[in-house]
Amino acid sequence: MAATSSSSSSSESNEANSKWLDAHYDPMANLYTFSSCIALADLHGDGEYKLVVGDLGMAGHTMRLKVYRGTGLASESTLLDLPAAVTTFLMDQNEPRTPAVAVASGPFIYVYKNLRPYFKFTLPPLDANPLEQDVWEQAKEDMIDPLTLKEMLEGIRDKAEIPLSVRSLRFLAQDVPEMENFVNLHKGQPIKRQTVITCMSTLKKNMADEDAVSCLVIGTESADVLILDPEAFTILAKMTLPSVPAFLDVMGQFDVEYRVTVACRDGSIYILRRESKRPKYCIELSAQPMGLVRVHKNIVAGCSDETLQGYTQKGKKLWTVYLPAPLMTMSLLDHKSRGFQAVMVGLANQEVHMYLDKNLVDVIRTQDVVTSICFGRYGREDNTLIMTSKGGGLIIKILKRTAVFEEKDMSLGPPVAQSIRLSVPKKTRLYVDQTLRERENAVAMHHVFQMDLYRLRLMAARAYVKALESSLAPITSTLQEPIKMNAVVQGIGPTFKLTLHIQNTSAGRPSINLLVSFLYDQSLYAMKRAFFKAPMLVPGLNYPIETFVECLSDKGISDVIKVFVLREGQSMPLLTAHINMPVSEGLAAA
Amino acid sequence: MGLFDKLAGWLGLKKKEVHVLCLGLDNSGKTTIINKLKPSNAQTQDIVPTIGFSIEKFKTSSLSFTVFDMSGQGRYRNLWEHYYKEGQAIIFVIDSSDKLRMVVAKEELDTLLTHPDIKHRRIPILFFANKMDLRDAVSSVKVSQLLSLENIKDKPWHICASDALKGEGLQEGVDWLQDQIQAMKT
Ligand SMILES: Nc1nc2c(ncn2[C@@H]2O[C@H](COP(=O)(O)OP(=O)(O)OP(=O)(O)O)[C@@H](O)[C@H]2O)c(=O)[nH]1
Ligand SMILES: [Mg+2]
Repeated sequence: MAATSSSSSSSESNEANSKWLDAHYDPMANLYTFSSCIALADLHGDGEYKLVVGDLGMAGHTMRLKVYRGTGLASESTLLDLPAAVTTFLMDQNEPRTPAVAVASGPFIYVYKNLRPYFKFTLPPLDANPLEQDVWEQAKEDMIDPLTLKEMLEGIRDKAEIPLSVRSLRFLAQDVPEMENFVNLHKGQPIKRQTVITCMSTLKKNMADEDAVSCLVIGTESADVLILDPEAFTILAKMTLPSVPAFLDVMGQFDVEYRVTVACRDGSIYILRRESKRPKYCIELSAQPMGLVRVHKNIVAGCSDETLQGYTQKGKKLWTVYLPAPLMTMSLLDHKSRGFQAVMVGLANQEVHMYLDKNLVDVIRTQDVVTSICFGRYGREDNTLIMTSKGGGLIIKILKRTAVFEEKDMSLGPPVAQSIRLSVPKKTRLYVDQTLRERENAVAMHHVFQMDLYRLRLMAARAYVKALESSLAPITSTLQEPIKMNAVVQGIGPTFKLTLHIQNTSAGRPSINLLVSFLYDQSLYAMKRAFFKAPMLVPGLNYPIETFVECLSDKGISDVIKVFVLREGQSMPLLTAHINMPVSEGLAAA
Repeated sequence: MGLFDKLAGWLGLKKKEVHVLCLGLDNSGKTTIINKLKPSNAQTQDIVPTIGFSIEKFKTSSLSFTVFDMSGQGRYRNLWEHYYKEGQAIIFVIDSSDKLRMVVAKEELDTLLTHPDIKHRRIPILFFANKMDLRDAVSSVKVSQLLSLENIKDKPWHICASDALKGEGLQEGVDWLQDQIQAMKT
């Protein structure tokens, strides 16, 4: 047992520390989607939650609405166009209380009940440009030829406030020979201008319960936010934004008070309130928004400059986190039973990071880049994490019952000690005076300092030159005779042992004919040999040369003994050492 | 007196009492299984998810079982360990059709087996791979593989495929458990 269990546990040692259980991984699930097109709901009212995915398919075909149960695909149906958003919501109070599925695509919302098509909502058409209508009217009467039509439409396109209809844009994209045909084919019908849905969310109607009836909230390409009645699909409220909404977050209840937070394509977040036709607050982001999540009451936006930014609900900036890689998608982790909310961020480096406020609390490594994340109740498990990857894989993980997220950052950063406040003493009167003086006389003080600094440098330079000139330094300055010397004094007196360590530091030339001479006060010291010849110095070797010095005085005085290394026939020493002799203590004792 | 007890036991007058813990994830069918093991006149018709736990009793040919039917819901699972000391045997129920949560069942089983009150005891464990009647149920062999049951070397264990609605497979399991408990006592 020991053998098998230890081998399996060592290969999974990383997994053992993980907060997640790997429930399912299918790299070939063929699911291509984004976080906005994923939802979890108890579709059949049997307590087993299903996964609803708007699958974008590959290259814009085989779009499907897929429903997963457990680890397998339970049903799928074809979608006519690419889905922009998928959500589930309760339309009415009728029993059984099974939620409907809403799929937004193009200008439509397809509503499914019991997974069967139930209703199709179409966005109201927009007013077409009157100039554009005039021009087409003339074309219909054959008053202008296609080329003139083209020129006039181009003029309108470049100047007008109201953009051209899809028909005119398609006409402008035609090759000249086909224009005639196109005009004849389409000139009969009136011009329609249609917008499309960019994002969708839900808003509780008048109760805060988990299973309350909800309105759909949609953002459109015409920069509007619409709130739809859950049963009649009439427009209950319309708000206009300065830019096209890309991500929506809604909280509150329609009949009471609500707040819609919208991240727009102009790189701003707008916050709308009930009864406000225009945004109440605006947050200008540092880059394009890539995702928007509300954590409790704060807003967290992921931006294309690889940052995560936290704001209060009134738009005050709280923090910025720099991500290690570009952000792919983000979603909320809501651990309901513990009241714990965090942001999950899918990154381009195949990692999913979890942030509690600005603290990184967990990292999940995946086989592929994660493009969509959804956390919630799935099957019968409350804390399930569903992710799909760029290559179409499906990853399902379950948060361990015992997992705890520490509220401190796991990424390397400044040590904890750094954030502890020091009890700095109060500023004294002296300190304040001093700072005042420094502030007032900054220039003069700087001058004085500079002057002293130059003086110091000058003195240092002079001393250096002098040392070089008189060969006072313990290293020779001539390149022909590179020699190093240091001297050691041993003993307590009256006899001292003096050891000179001489070393030839040249690369390969031995030094010969060197003399060593001592200069000292003859009334104080006596030396057997004050002048002798040094042996031949082989390069690199250290030559200890020992002599004995006798101290003649018993008055406790000491002096300097100078050592010179000379070259035969030259009076200028190659190098000089000053030995500070210690006071002779031995004599006093004797 | 000891002789009298034994005699009574042989004659089936007084049965030995054993305490059994019934564990497993929510919706695995614990309550349904226990209910089926009771005499038919004591069975209930509607079974609802257990809150906290409930105590049930049933008898076999030679033993009198007192079962702690624990709730398997996540928020009640931390109650289990408080009863480990009293348990003389464990019935662990798995929903063999819930492939998604097999990892959760394994995690709970591993936590159980490494608990100090269980770890060093030779306590018999009976596994029911329940709901075998469902179409997407996996075999009992597969269940024991997914839960790595082969790693349990210091406790007697046994796995039975079961269908608690019809009562299939339950008797085989309980017979095994009875043998184990009697072998343990003598
Ligand atoms: N098809 C099938 N369904 C079963 C089987 N056993 C139990 N069920 C059903 O599974 C559901 C849950 O059964 P319970 O006995 O309440 O499960 P439990 O393990 O006691 O659940 P908790 O008390 O919440 O921990 C019920 O609807 C049972 O009818 C089985 O063998 N086959
Ligand atoms: Mg139960």
